[in-house]
Amino acid sequence: MNRNYIFLTILMLFLAVGTIFLNKTEKLKQIEPDKLLWEIIQPTRYVSTDQVAKMIIQQDPSLEIIDVRNEKEFNNFSLPKAINIPVDSLLSETSLENFGIPGTKVVFISNDDIKADQAWIIAKRLGFDGMYVMRGGLNCWMRTIIQPVEPPEYAPLTEFATYEFRKGAKLYFTGAKPENTETKKVKVIVKRRKKTKAASGGC
Amino acid sequence: MHEHELNPWRTLIVLSVFAVLIVIGFFTLQKPTMKYDLNMKESLTVLNDKDACFYPWQLEKVIKKEVNNVVLFDIRDRFTYGQGHIPNSENISAFDLTNKENIKRLENLKKKNITVVLYGEDQLQANGPWMLFRQAGFKNVKVLLGGYKYYSEHKEDLAATKSDESYKKGTPRFDYAKIASPSNTGIEQPNSPVKKKVVVRRKKKAKAASGGC
Repeated sequence: MNRNYIFLTILMLFLAVGTIFLNKTEKLKQIEPDKLLWEIIQPTRYVSTDQVAKMIIQQDPSLEIIDVRNEKEFNNFSLPKAINIPVDSLLSETSLENFGIPGTKVVFISNDDIKADQAWIIAKRLGFDGMYVMRGGLNCWMRTIIQPVEPPEYAPLTEFATYEFRKGAKLYFTGAKPENTETKKVKVIVKRRKKTKAASGGC
Repeated sequence: MHEHELNPWRTLIVLSVFAVLIVIGFFTLQKPTMKYDLNMKESLTVLNDKDACFYPWQLEKVIKKEVNNVVLFDIRDRFTYGQGHIPNSENISAFDLTNKENIKRLENLKKKNITVVLYGEDQLQANGPWMLFRQAGFKNVKVLLGGYKYYSEHKEDLAATKSDESYKKGTPRFDYAKIASPSNTGIEQPNSPVKKKVVVRRKKKAKAASGGC
């Protein structure tokens, strides 16, 4: 009888000691490679510049923009309320605190989308959710939001709607005044016909 | 007196059976098809490896089959692959990349020291799978810069792309701060069409009496 209890006690102690070692070996939790690939091929992880612009304008409190360019580029220009985390310092503890907050949408931005995408994958491997990549990056931002191009006349109506939105967004982000429409009006020059000198017949 | 105390070894037998079960469980445990070979820090440093990229001008030799240590994998879906692809490339959709057979093939190619080049519609599409395989230890996997889109635009003269920089990502194409400042935006954009003045010319009336009823 006593021996049974001793056996069980030793077993329990052994298992308890084992759990201590388990916790130490896995410091950063990571997801399996298969699952990571599955997450990578989901197209929903990309957001367009228009969507980001809309969220900023609407002052979406859940939006969190992470700029992964270096500090110099970040100081030169970035989107409003963006946080600078260069790719190299992505794994530091202070930067990891920005990810995985329930209810937030983390959007990675960079010059193009490759660096932002890489940061996304690194963070995803650690199992964080609610992260997105801004497609096209800041170069696309300049082309679409800051310098929108008028669609050709035959373009579908939705394109004109986006164009109108982008024109408004441009004013929001640059603080410029709306273009003066007065000067753009087409001048119509009407030439009066000369009166004929002589009486020129008639009935 | 309890009945089981008749057999003092009973507990030991049960425990050993238990242990054997666990050991069997460990051995028959399904092994994951892939494992990470690089830790998080190494995965970051590998991103700066210039040798991990495949340049469009390097494609020329592969298409002409002048080199036989490079394999092209098209990771787009079957339909888009059918619409057009790089010659001598093979279609493995991104969904099937981690299939057991494909992993085995990649491992064989790795042993033979054959470079595997992944490409998608653009560089972004292949970037994720490329990073995953690098992290899983496939050092022979490279990503095609520019993707299929850049290739199809320049397939006539791939050698000329050696001096082209437009496919390289990661550099700012504008002076952001300047472009986004309010003073700049008042300037008329060069691509917006300048509206023409409309001049209406009336017909001149003939001077002399010209006919009548």
